[in-house]
Amino acid sequence: MNIKEYISTGIVESYVMGLMTGAEREEFEALCQQHHEIATARNAFETALEEQLLKDAPAPPAFLKRKIDDAIANINNNKVLETEEVREETPVRSIGIWKWVAAASLVLMAGSVYLAINTNNKYKDLQQANLTLEQEMAQSKEQLALYKADAEMLQKPGMKMVGMKGTSMSPHSYTTVLWDTTGATKDVYLLVNNLPQPASDKQYQLWALLDGKPIDLGMIENADVRQKPLLYRMKNVQNAQAFAITLEPTGGSKNAPTGDMYVMGQL
Amino acid sequence: MNTKVTYEEQDLVALLRQKDDSGFTYLYEHYSGALYGVIKQIVTDMELANDVLQETFVNIWRKIDSYDAGKGRLFTWMLNIARNAAIDKTRSKSFQQSLKHTPIDGEFVQPSVKPGIDDFGLKRVVYKLKEEHRMLIELSYFQGFTHEQIAKSLNMPLGTVKTRIRSALIQLKALLS
Repeated sequence: MNIKEYISTGIVESYVMGLMTGAEREEFEALCQQHHEIATARNAFETALEEQLLKDAPAPPAFLKRKIDDAIANINNNKVLETEEVREETPVRSIGIWKWVAAASLVLMAGSVYLAINTNNKYKDLQQANLTLEQEMAQSKEQLALYKADAEMLQKPGMKMVGMKGTSMSPHSYTTVLWDTTGATKDVYLLVNNLPQPASDKQYQLWALLDGKPIDLGMIENADVRQKPLLYRMKNVQNAQAFAITLEPTGGSKNAPTGDMYVMGQL
Repeated sequence: MNTKVTYEEQDLVALLRQKDDSGFTYLYEHYSGALYGVIKQIVTDMELANDVLQETFVNIWRKIDSYDAGKGRLFTWMLNIARNAAIDKTRSKSFQQSLKHTPIDGEFVQPSVKPGIDDFGLKRVVYKLKEEHRMLIELSYFQGFTHEQIAKSLNMPLGTVKTRIRSALIQLKALLS
């Protein structure tokens, strides 16, 4: 940074005269701390401006000083009064019977107002609690319905289950393919038992293998690897001898896997 | 009192922080005129200018702890308090009523040249600037419009307004020294 050039842009004057935005001001102040020359230039302009303004200054009316002194004395007194008021104790005075009655009815009224407010608050709290419960209930029901559907699928007679074990690449990985071989559509579902979270530019891809050739069965969203939904719907496949999962660039590979194989299972 | 004391700025600030009355009186006697001059050039009405000067000194008294010598001189700090208070006042109802005709919202009054009345202090120097520069200083410094508002109203790119104000300030500095 060329300090001389920076100083000569008018930025110093702009700062001193208060014509900058907050961010600009902060930047200038930071630079002043770093570069002595900028602070010196600022001080020079400040002094020049000050001298000019002091030179032919109009005198304010004489009564103003007293008014200002009064205003300031007022501020100081208020501060003192405030602290004194806190220390002050309630004065004890004797009061007649009617004052007692008035005081008692005031106390009663205050009591009933308190009760009313209290009841109302409790009612509101209960209402809120009820609403929360209802919402939680609805969520649970929804979740239960999903699990039920999954469970029904698992119980289907022709459902084949293929455990896929981790390769030497990732020995702890494990997934399961569920393949509905009786239905006409031959639906394929995946259960992610355990897979490491992939990098954000990578995605897992499921393949079926038939006569040594890979068939793309679709991608697994990275968020689902983390959340592990019970059954993950993949692409259908009519025939397969084995299933495998590889790690591919996001979006997957079209014809054949290019990345490392994580799990594999034979039928 | 015949004895004239002069304080170094840092000593004066220390006195003010202790809420010392004689320090405050010294500050007032020394600087009230200079601040009053700038206030009067922003708020032309004398009664309102008196109010602003009072507000300014009350604020100096209350906020002296927030003054940071690392960011500039005491006078600069006070000047900005005075200028901000004056510009605030021009946005108030009482000021608008003190004007003969109120400007339409979002527009500004074209700065009027009133030599003789305004011809002192900072404006004496500002009047020596080129017309274009003078107007930009008027609008930004004395009327308190933001660069954005000026750009919009003069139908100029924001960058141009910024550059021109900066070069007006360079001219101003040259005239001051």
